[in-house]
Amino acid sequence: MMMNKNLVMNKDYLVPLLRKLAKTHRLVAPVRNEYGDTLFTIITDLDRTEIDLDHQPQASLKPYFFPQTDTLCRYVIDCDPATGAMDYSFHVQLPQNRPTVYVGVRSCDMFAVMYTDMVFLHEHERDVYYKQRRDNAIFITIACNTPFDNCFCNATRSGPFLESGFDLQLTDLGDRWFVETGRARGAGLTEDWACFFRPADEADKRAQFQAELEARGRFKQLVHVDLASKLLAEDKVPESIFRDLSSRCQDCGGCAFICPTCTCFNITDQPRDEAGGERVRSWDACTFSGFTAMAGGHNSVDVETGRIRRRFLHKLQYDVDRHGRPSCVGCGRCVGMCFGGVDMIRFISMISEAGENGAEAGE
Amino acid sequence: MTFGSGAMTNSIDEIGQAQVILVSGSNTTEAHPQVARRIYDAVDRGAKLIVIDPRRTRLARHAHLHLRLRPGTDIPLLNAMMRCILDENLVDDLFIEMRTENYFALRDMLLQVDPGQAAAVAGVAESDIRLAARMYARAQRSVICYCLGVTQHICGTGNVRSYANLAMLTGHVEQEFTGVDPLRGQNNVQGACDMGALPVVLTGYQSVTDPVALGKFARAWGVELSNRPGLTVLDMTHGEQIRAMLVMGENPVLSDPRQDHVIATLKGLDFLAVADIFLSETAALADVVFPVATFAEKSGTVTSSERRVQLMHQAIKPVGAARPDGQVIMALSERLGYPMRYDSEAEVMEEICLLTPIYGGIYHDRLDPGWGLQWPCVDRSHGSTQYLHKYAFARGRGRFEPAKHVAPAEAADEHYPFVLMTGRVYHHYHTGSMTRRSLSLMRECGRSLVEMHPDDGRRLGIGPGDPVRLTSRHGSCSFNADLTPRVETGYLYANFHFPESPVNVLIGDASDPIARIPEFKICAVQVERETA
Ligand code: SF4
Repeated sequence: MMMNKNLVMNKDYLVPLLRKLAKTHRLVAPVRNEYGDTLFTIITDLDRTEIDLDHQPQASLKPYFFPQTDTLCRYVIDCDPATGAMDYSFHVQLPQNRPTVYVGVRSCDMFAVMYTDMVFLHEHERDVYYKQRRDNAIFITIACNTPFDNCFCNATRSGPFLESGFDLQLTDLGDRWFVETGRARGAGLTEDWACFFRPADEADKRAQFQAELEARGRFKQLVHVDLASKLLAEDKVPESIFRDLSSRCQDCGGCAFICPTCTCFNITDQPRDEAGGERVRSWDACTFSGFTAMAGGHNSVDVETGRIRRRFLHKLQYDVDRHGRPSCVGCGRCVGMCFGGVDMIRFISMISEAGENGAEAGE
Repeated sequence: MTFGSGAMTNSIDEIGQAQVILVSGSNTTEAHPQVARRIYDAVDRGAKLIVIDPRRTRLARHAHLHLRLRPGTDIPLLNAMMRCILDENLVDDLFIEMRTENYFALRDMLLQVDPGQAAAVAGVAESDIRLAARMYARAQRSVICYCLGVTQHICGTGNVRSYANLAMLTGHVEQEFTGVDPLRGQNNVQGACDMGALPVVLTGYQSVTDPVALGKFARAWGVELSNRPGLTVLDMTHGEQIRAMLVMGENPVLSDPRQDHVIATLKGLDFLAVADIFLSETAALADVVFPVATFAEKSGTVTSSERRVQLMHQAIKPVGAARPDGQVIMALSERLGYPMRYDSEAEVMEEICLLTPIYGGIYHDRLDPGWGLQWPCVDRSHGSTQYLHKYAFARGRGRFEPAKHVAPAEAADEHYPFVLMTGRVYHHYHTGSMTRRSLSLMRECGRSLVEMHPDDGRRLGIGPGDPVRLTSRHGSCSFNADLTPRVETGYLYANFHFPESPVNVLIGDASDPIARIPEFKICAVQVERETA
């Protein structure tokens, strides 16, 4: 395996470096719009766009690889006038592959991409649509010196600093970036544009180490993710918690849509005219009651508590069984999204509190 | 009216800081989730929540006190509350003295109210009413939010006045975090009302009988305007007073009571034109249909419940032959011999500023970028107004308007033993002309259900999902049963989103004598199980 290199880049050089990369790649970076929202945005004019590395982007990179609605293929209906027999033919619509540099990606979002890779690019079951968008992506990530208010990636072990997965990881050292190379493409990039980098010296490495240490102390949330997984696996979560939270869930699906690792989808055929239409994949959410509804309207689970159970069990129990870790990456987005406060932090706090009380009562 | 203007007195964000929130006739989590969010925030912070609603709505399950009144009995309930406030000396004398008028009329009326009897009429325990009165009156920052459960009664005006009386009696109006907040429906219902889409006012609630206002409009438009109030929607869609009609973005065939009358009226017109984004049930009856642009295909402003005027920008060009509504109006006007030449939405807005004092300073360039301005905003130097009636009510002093109980027009009897309330569900919007086209929303809720208490279901041999037929004194209509304790025995709840179950055929045309809002919330029906 290749050794990770440690380099340093003057802060002024980021835009010049991106300008070079933009010659061959599309650029995507967080940009703050006039309403004060920071969103990952395709940058077409580097001089007129201010990249915002100070705020968490409201949405993750998910839509870039797995769009909210995606046309998978077009279908054409042929009707034989003699026999009246109908025949469908399908024409696959593959998205374009656009080599893209994603800049300013935070650790949680980088980790989420690695997680969705496991879902969509698992061995032979590759999803061609995802792969087409995912190939030739370069990630210049940014380690979080100061986690945001709802962040808990320390508890999900997906930040605030990453060891791997990125091409380049930047750490803010005040006047300069500490740059670590991860995947081969990142290392290659620092060689192609060596003029922007210098090797890190001992002082830089100490400063980076210090920044990482301090970041770990700056989390405002204490979230016992592993304890939660354990309690769920041991079936020690009181039913009343699901009931309480469910009564505040309004079935909007916002948590799943905003979550960087939620990947449920639905496929529908949408007629465009007499002769055919499109087969479209769109985001779905296990919190929708229609997710388990059967033809005729019967629902196999109690709609209200069932949806909350599905979501939290999937993230904290089933994915631990399947992938060895929870699929929550601690980005905290569902905390800001859910208007009823039915979010990961609240759920875990409730069950760990109940778990503690239970343990005390048991002793 | 009581305060002098019809809009939320607070901003939506202020609700999160209230100490007591009284929600009446509003299924807030389903109809106004962004307001519900603030209510949850406030409750999480320790605020007390009182819900007045015949149904056990999601919010009612989180309430500290749920007053499950009989539909249409807000007035006796509130009079009992106010009597209790009077008895326990929780009245804000200073506020009443300085800021209101006609207090003695209210007090004299309240002194005749027997709280026990009123509680019996409302079907709520007297002790709960007292508790609610104390909670609401004693807190410093109490807010009232109400919605169509209060207004859609034959005594809707009296209901609204009673809530205003309650707020003024306890001085819960003129400050931040406390007030009376009607929650409006669509993104721009408030804007439509502000622009004079009401029979008695011009833009900005200037009376059509006010010669000064009329003169101003006459100078701007070069024509004399009528000083007679127009007709209400109900008068227009029921009867023969009108010969030609242009309907924009409305679907009265499904949304108005007595569908048979509405269809007969529309068919009897000499000419009907409908402008809509889809071919609605109403558009299907039209002589001419104008396909108009959707929100994404046009620019202009919308005004939200909290009086906030926001600019929206065209995102894509209109698809097909669709045109923005404004252009349809201009082209029609031109053909009718009155050319209107506005080159941009901003130019239209300048005219609004010129003619509408409360919008006087709301120019497009001030709205962009950002989250807009809240009226009143009288000129360019005026900022946004977070809450209304800061130093004085719009009409000078707030006027107490005592109200007395009015028995519903459509009471249950032995032939029609159930009381049906109508409303909305989370996944659909009004007559469903947009939401029924979304596969996901249809998967969540794809057929029209009528809520019925499980005991009633058992008694009538009706199981979950069974087809049932509801018959009122006016018509009949089929649904599938949803057996749930959200409604009490003897009550039913249905929505009007599905053309297959046009619930408004059941509704009578009785309405509030002042606002002419139909009695959508009370309709006596009988129920039978349908055999397939
Ligand atoms: S569950 Fe919530 S905190 Fe966890 S990854 Fe998804 S959105 Fe982020």
